[in-house]
Amino acid sequence: MTRHLSAELGLTLRILFRQPGFWIPTVLFPAMLYAFFGANSGGGAWAANAMASFAVYAVLGVGFFQFGVSVAQDRASPFATWQSTLPGSAVPQWIARIIAAVIFVTLAVALVIALAHLMTDVDLPARAWGRLAAVCLMATGTATLMGIALGSVASARAAVPLANLVYLPLAYLGGLWVPPIAMPAAINAISEWTPTRAMGELAWAAMEGRAWSLQDLGLLAAWTLAAAAMTGLTTRPLRRRPSA
Amino acid sequence: MTMTQSDLAIHAHGLAKRFGAVQAVSRIDLVVAPGEALGLLGSNGAGKSTTLSMLMGLCAPDAGKALVFGHPVGSPAARRLTGATPQATDLPDQVTPREILTYAALRYGVAPAIDRLTADFGLDDLIDRRVAGFSGGQMRRVALALAFVGQPRLVFLDEPTSGLDSAAQQAFRVMARSYVAQGGALVLTSHHWDEIEAICSSIAVIDRGETVLAGRIDTIRDRARITRLGFDLPPGLVPPLWLGARHDGARWQVETGDSDTLLRRMVTEALPFANLTLQPLELKDLIHHLRHEENRP
Ligand SMILES: Nc1ncnc2c1ncn2[C@@H]1O[C@H](COP(=O)(O)OP(=O)(O)OP(=O)(O)O)[C@@H](O)[C@H]1O
Ligand SMILES: [Mg+2]
Repeated sequence: MTRHLSAELGLTLRILFRQPGFWIPTVLFPAMLYAFFGANSGGGAWAANAMASFAVYAVLGVGFFQFGVSVAQDRASPFATWQSTLPGSAVPQWIARIIAAVIFVTLAVALVIALAHLMTDVDLPARAWGRLAAVCLMATGTATLMGIALGSVASARAAVPLANLVYLPLAYLGGLWVPPIAMPAAINAISEWTPTRAMGELAWAAMEGRAWSLQDLGLLAAWTLAAAAMTGLTTRPLRRRPSA
Repeated sequence: MTMTQSDLAIHAHGLAKRFGAVQAVSRIDLVVAPGEALGLLGSNGAGKSTTLSMLMGLCAPDAGKALVFGHPVGSPAARRLTGATPQATDLPDQVTPREILTYAALRYGVAPAIDRLTADFGLDDLIDRRVAGFSGGQMRRVALALAFVGQPRLVFLDEPTSGLDSAAQQAFRVMARSYVAQGGALVLTSHHWDEIEAICSSIAVIDRGETVLAGRIDTIRDRARITRLGFDLPPGLVPPLWLGARHDGARWQVETGDSDTLLRRMVTEALPFANLTLQPLELKDLIHHLRHEENRP
């Protein structure tokens, strides 16, 4: 299993890192949006919350969008078809994808944080950074699994528009661009059920030194399980149709 | 000695597969023993690749059952024993053949025999080059090597030599024959009759999703020792109807399972033929002849 996982990880990381055209924009994009829209939100608690929001947004963009879409595109490729004739379970392949997503998310989030230090006066205790890192890690699992779930039902062509259709509203509804208090009540009512709102609430709690609420943790766990179940259901070894 | 199901490399019967309105495969039966090479023949869209997809466990049949060395197709045990080159090949641009071969070997749990595969498939200049920019034939060579890297006992090759130059085709034939001679089972599709004849001991002809003719090539030859007679006639003269000859644009030709009787009658009836040639039918024409015969009312 570990040998298999390291083989999958080696292959996945080689393919991704040897494509600067893929990873440079993927890592830069959230930081760029943060620089334009997040870093000028004043100082103090606001600055820390905005930074946390864009860190979560970076997680969503990389995990859900990039990795979800790539699953759909891979699924249609003859190489992936050949891969599924090989012995061994498909699980290490998914784990390798999630690890790769974590690596890219770390780079993207680190860039947001670096910009926050350059452009604002954020100053947080070590514990708050640790909790933000934990939130990002949990969110990566959820976002990547959701992306994989979407990627495993959408066709290669439909994946990009479909991912946009889900991920942009999710970022907005989660309060990652506009804080929830600025939302109309009706939107806020929907927002409270989204995985991104749960991620945001956990991140803001970390910034403000509040305890995490069980409700937010539970909501995130529920979305994670749902995404994992959907991925499991749609990627059984024998598909009804060959993907070639 | 009779073979049990787990001795057979493939034991498939009644396979069927429909895609929407298209009945891609309607009834396929196949049996392949170790040390046997089976050639799947049939026109474009006949259902060869769909059959292979089902045997590789890539798509579930709607009906029928297939076992690989006694294991259900697509099961971990079946996949461990099987290698494959699908009809379409594309490898990720960013990796080298050595990296992909090593990866595949690891999934099979064997040591990658890079040097042997490099020699067998002519990868010397390619093995450490990134795949981006490989020509069609270069890509094909890597894809073929990948089918064998896991030391499989059964290999599926869908149009293995499409895009290969003639030297590479020749090398592939040698390699395939030695794999089979060492007890490997091979199933390949091809549109090249000479390739099938050079590698395969058996064939299955698929037409519109059904096996219409199957068996050992030598048995098929024995079953129908068909000879093709060619001859010229003086201009304007047409051969008698009983002869059943046709003109191919250059000469008169007739196919027969009993050339002696036919020739005797041609002589007795004093047909003024000239430049008589007799040759055994090539496999391609033989099969055409047999199917034509069977379809006659
Ligand atoms: N995924 C699919 N969706 C819809 N139709 C399909 C699919 N795969 C195959 N078919 C159809 O099934 C039939 C058999 O196709 P298949 O690929 O098995 O033919 P083939 O014998 O391999 O042909 P070729 O010699 O051209 O490779 C064709 O009519 C094809 O259009
Ligand atoms: Mg085909």
